Amino acid sequence: MEKTKDLRFYLAFLVLFAVLLPLGNLTGLVSNNTISLWGRYFCFAIAALGVDLIWGYTGILSMCQAFFFCLGGYSVAMHIVMKGASANGTGIPDFMVWNQVNSLPFFWVPFQSFGLALILGLLIPAAFAFVFGYFIFRSRIKGVYMAIITQALALAMWLLFLRNETMLGGTNGLTDFKSLLGLSLSSPAVKLGLYLISLAGLCGAYFLSKKLVDSKFGKVLQAIRDSESRTSYTAYRVLDYKLAIFIAGALLAAFAGMLYAPQTGIITPGRMDVRASVEMVMWVALGGRGKLKGAVLGALVVNFLYSICTSLFPDSWLFILGFLFVITVLYFDKGFLGMIEKISGGIGKRKSSIKEVAEQQVV
Amino acid sequence: MNCIIKMWLGICLCLIIGKHASAQSDSTSILIGHILYPPGDSARSTALQKLVSRGEPATFPFLAAINDKKIFLLDGQPVTTGLPQQAADGSEVFEVFLLYPKSVPVLNSDGIPKLLPVSSLEQISISRSDRLLMIPILPFLNLANPDPKKRIIAYGQLLNSADSSKISVLSGALNLEKDKEALTAGKEILFQLELEQAKSETVAKAYIDSLDSNWGENVTLILKNYATSGKLEGAKKYAAEKVTDLEGLQGRIQKAQNLFSGISLGSILILIALGLAIVYGLAGIINMAHGEFLMIGAYTTFCVQKLFIDILGIKSDLFFFVSLPVSFLIAGVFGLILEKLVIRHLYSRPLESLLATWGVSLIMVQLARSIFGDLTAVKAPSFLAGGYQVMPHLILPYNRLFIIGLTIIVVSLTYLMLYRSRLGIQIRAVTQNRSMSACLGVETRKVDAITFFLGSGLAGLAGCAMTLIGNVVPDMGQTYIVDSFLVVVTGGVGKIAGAILSGLGIGFLTKVLESFYEAVYGKVLILALIVIFLQFKPRGLFPDKGRIAED
Amino acid sequence: MKIIQARYWGMLMLALIAALSGCGGSGSSDKKAGEGETVKIGILHSLSGTMAISEVSLKDVVLMAVDEINAKGGVLGKKIEPVIVDPASDWDLFAEKAKELLLDKKVSAVFGCWTSVSRKSVLPVFEENNGLLFYPVQYEGEECSTSVIYTGATPNQQLIPAAEYMMSAEGGAYKKFYLLGTDYVFPRTANKILKAFLLSKGVPKENIVEEYTPFHHQDYQTIVSKIKQFAAGGKACVLSTINGDSNVPFYKEFANQGLSAATCPIMAFSVAEDELRATDTEFLVGHLAAWNYFQSSESAENKKFVEDFRAFCKKNNLPGGDKRVTDDPICWAYTGVYLWAKAAEKAGSFEVSKVRPALYGLEFDSPDGVVKMDTKNHHLAKPVMIGEIKPDGQFDIIWKSNGLVNPEPWSKLTSPDKDCDHVAHGGTYTVAKK
Repeated sequence: MEKTKDLRFYLAFLVLFAVLLPLGNLTGLVSNNTISLWGRYFCFAIAALGVDLIWGYTGILSMCQAFFFCLGGYSVAMHIVMKGASANGTGIPDFMVWNQVNSLPFFWVPFQSFGLALILGLLIPAAFAFVFGYFIFRSRIKGVYMAIITQALALAMWLLFLRNETMLGGTNGLTDFKSLLGLSLSSPAVKLGLYLISLAGLCGAYFLSKKLVDSKFGKVLQAIRDSESRTSYTAYRVLDYKLAIFIAGALLAAFAGMLYAPQTGIITPGRMDVRASVEMVMWVALGGRGKLKGAVLGALVVNFLYSICTSLFPDSWLFILGFLFVITVLYFDKGFLGMIEKISGGIGKRKSSIKEVAEQQVV
Repeated sequence: MNCIIKMWLGICLCLIIGKHASAQSDSTSILIGHILYPPGDSARSTALQKLVSRGEPATFPFLAAINDKKIFLLDGQPVTTGLPQQAADGSEVFEVFLLYPKSVPVLNSDGIPKLLPVSSLEQISISRSDRLLMIPILPFLNLANPDPKKRIIAYGQLLNSADSSKISVLSGALNLEKDKEALTAGKEILFQLELEQAKSETVAKAYIDSLDSNWGENVTLILKNYATSGKLEGAKKYAAEKVTDLEGLQGRIQKAQNLFSGISLGSILILIALGLAIVYGLAGIINMAHGEFLMIGAYTTFCVQKLFIDILGIKSDLFFFVSLPVSFLIAGVFGLILEKLVIRHLYSRPLESLLATWGVSLIMVQLARSIFGDLTAVKAPSFLAGGYQVMPHLILPYNRLFIIGLTIIVVSLTYLMLYRSRLGIQIRAVTQNRSMSACLGVETRKVDAITFFLGSGLAGLAGCAMTLIGNVVPDMGQTYIVDSFLVVVTGGVGKIAGAILSGLGIGFLTKVLESFYEAVYGKVLILALIVIFLQFKPRGLFPDKGRIAED
Repeated sequence: MKIIQARYWGMLMLALIAALSGCGGSGSSDKKAGEGETVKIGILHSLSGTMAISEVSLKDVVLMAVDEINAKGGVLGKKIEPVIVDPASDWDLFAEKAKELLLDKKVSAVFGCWTSVSRKSVLPVFEENNGLLFYPVQYEGEECSTSVIYTGATPNQQLIPAAEYMMSAEGGAYKKFYLLGTDYVFPRTANKILKAFLLSKGVPKENIVEEYTPFHHQDYQTIVSKIKQFAAGGKACVLSTINGDSNVPFYKEFANQGLSAATCPIMAFSVAEDELRATDTEFLVGHLAAWNYFQSSESAENKKFVEDFRAFCKKNNLPGGDKRVTDDPICWAYTGVYLWAKAAEKAGSFEVSKVRPALYGLEFDSPDGVVKMDTKNHHLAKPVMIGEIKPDGQFDIIWKSNGLVNPEPWSKLTSPDKDCDHVAHGGTYTVAKK
């Protein structure tokens, strides 16, 4: 039963986003703006998968995912800016010229190569997650403590990126993206291409994550979530598991950030402030945590609502979204996914099996 | 007021000694007439220039009034206002002084100084470019200013620019100087002049000693200058030695200042973290909207101030004392509402409550923004302006001292409440073991509500105190909130002692690191230090004892 | 059960497609903009988040200009229909909203942005889609986009006259300059230009100090004591590009440490009436600011403008009501709408490619007097003024430039080889060296 339902869900998703929307765009029914909007939402969904792995499955509330997201975004952005600068003939990005910097800082050099930029874009966040995670998990910081420490990390890094001395563009961040691998980023075809790559990335990330949580490894993660001490008593090295999933989450966020930057056309420290990280957790909470589908659904729905509410209700959207958050958290502890299930379950009451009850207690 | 007039006379005398009074009083009054009622476009500037170049002491009160933009016309005569006083109906009135030919208070028919509101006087506006014409004689104008701060500035302006001919003026002014700080500032200039005049090494050394013991604002600068460009070799060396001593002393003072700023920042953090720690200890909930209760407290203070001044018409510092309990209550009530509506449903799910309170904080910030809109600020009570001088160069601002005092009181009251009252026992019982206390007849729900009220109220109190040092803006809660989270985490769950120790520690470390690195790098370092600290004490400074900690 | 499931999935799909077209499809039905009864313009100012404090006033004044124009019959016989969106001080959202306004809502022009980063964020969108953005705030220059009409000041219309004034005998003949700013692109570029200017006027290097603080910095103890040492010998002034809520603590500390406008005045480039309207101005009195417009301008047009704005705010129940003030960006946001309307009338079309050339050399009788668009680039020639802060948060105008000052998007001091000309060169070009 679950399997066929899942299959239908995937099919509907793919028909809608992989066939209908691109076709609509090619025939001119769906505007380029809609395409690039959804392309960006997919990136958020990938990052949300990472949050769900860490929080929903392992129970670690990390509030610095937006920082990892930005590390990925900045590395691709740095590559694009470098290419733009060498096309201009100066070899130094514009903002450095304005800041009276005359030679390229050393850490910008590797980003001239696209391959290295990609590798570094994943390697740096992974290394960061490793070092930070190692110390935090080693001292058995968890729960709310973990949330606060990661929040402080996000804050400190945000302040650091805001400085012009950091040579990453300060408040203005990196902007003026012209082309990537020789393809103009402003052409509709490239935008559609990036949309499809993001969609493929999301599908890939989803199925990898699905494999992961269904494997034995995933079961251990859920055991850690439910009772960390009991898991460690059964001779699992909890630290290793937590560290591995923390790094995996960081990698997913960075990967998402890499796809995000070229589609948005700008990356600024505003994307990595504390609020941005809490928002990512919010998507998962609203979509339904502990369910990968929930994370994807949450990221897509919340961002979609954010986009349309800021246009339709420019004066009151914050109240609308704020209340939605509070009410969903209060009354639908399993998020949108739970809401959908409740509604469809309310019609055919047969589904409230013992299994469901058991699951509820676990989550 | 009498002393000021005496001072005027004193200075006038001094200047008359230095400069022969010219019998041009007739044309002086003509010039003043030109300034008050300029017949042509540039007539005012020309007249001012002439008055300034004459440097007639009798015109100084008049010129000083122009410089302070406090020149008015009363029945066609130039006047200025003195200190503000409160009239019977609560409005602000001023003593009025005639400026020329003599600086005397304007009396009414009974011979008592007239008190008038500013609105009844006709202000003369004199352009900045005209006012700048007075720069050459500015120090002398201000030497007799009733405001000691202005006099200190005036002395400062004489530094390096005065020549020996001014010694008599300066000593004349100093003879009448009552204010301690101004006296120090003035003596410094006098000693500098004397030092430069000194012909023999012993005299020079004596003046260097006087400078040293006088210990004014610019003493290091003066001695440094003398050490490089002085005339007497021996004295130069002596000055250089004094400079090293002074710099060492200043370094120590700087350290004391840092210690104080650290304690002051720490007490702010404690004040904010206290409520957070109690609520967290009780229910395991981190209230992300805690900063917004601080904001509510600050806006309450703002409203109370508005109420007092705009509606009740009471212009006194009383409003601040009223707003302290009021902001506690209002923030507490808001906290109670939040608890009833949201938190109550989430006690078993701490992480969800973190998210829900975050949503609430969004709503509250936007609400404040749409109600109050802009930057607003509370005018700090006048008795908290300025600072307590421990020793020269070490001034502890009263507002910071007040916050430290408030923190001490609040912490002790909270301690008494928690450890010496029935409610405290119940709160501690619920904190330790919720179900057991419920079994023993503690109404846990009620205790939760009261605790939340107290925690939010404490944040409101902190907000009220914060208006003393900063703006009141909708997102003011965010500035300190992550730091106070860290205080709670480092201190340990729900422990007052932990919050105090870690609050002071973090505040102090922040200020110390800030003096070496920039603020941003200081923050990164603090975080690293906390992570390292938690390696050794994963549950904070004062962890819970017993078997309740693990899941 | 199966049927229910199928129905449920069908509903979901339908809802999703409807929602998507609700977002993307609205454009297709509005394609005929330009032929209907109305013409759309976009308003892209943050109504929430940190920048709302400043930007909401600009939204209000743009709406007021739209009302006024509509009351007179609109533009080319069409009423203006404003489309308001909220980019929420989120720089990524600025780009997204710009795309939406241009591609989906098909607006003829957009009025918006405040911060430099928001302008940089939307710039590529406007350039790609041939949009037109009216940007009302003073900025750092070094930009010459085909798609942006800069109604705010370029550095030479604000910074240089102010520095010249401070060096003049009239201004106080100051010899030492402390350049203090918030750490972002406007202060950095502004100080670069100011430094070049001061050096070119023979101010020795050691008499110029440059310093930056982070956003929202509150603790100015150390910096003010540095300024105090710097100013010890006299003849020193501060040129401040400190932004937003850092200003009040800075001025407070400045006064507390015994410095004053008489000994060491602060010339500010980012302090305007709107920011001062609710703050305690006690510590700011006597210090200076340079702008192109002050509310205290005596002209009849300005008095009417100020009155109208208050009446508009009161009528629409906006916060502040009839206590609202106008300032430089408000004046230029207002002027921008009229410039666009005039250009559209002149071109006889709303098409960007026709409106843009019609703007060159266009004159408008703004609240600030007659101002004139440059004949070659997208900036505005206007007067420069220096004001002294009064206790009521208003400015005493103490100096005014002789006539209009022409804009220089590329400062002659720092980029002598560059200029901006859209007519002959299509944007930034390199000036041949003589």
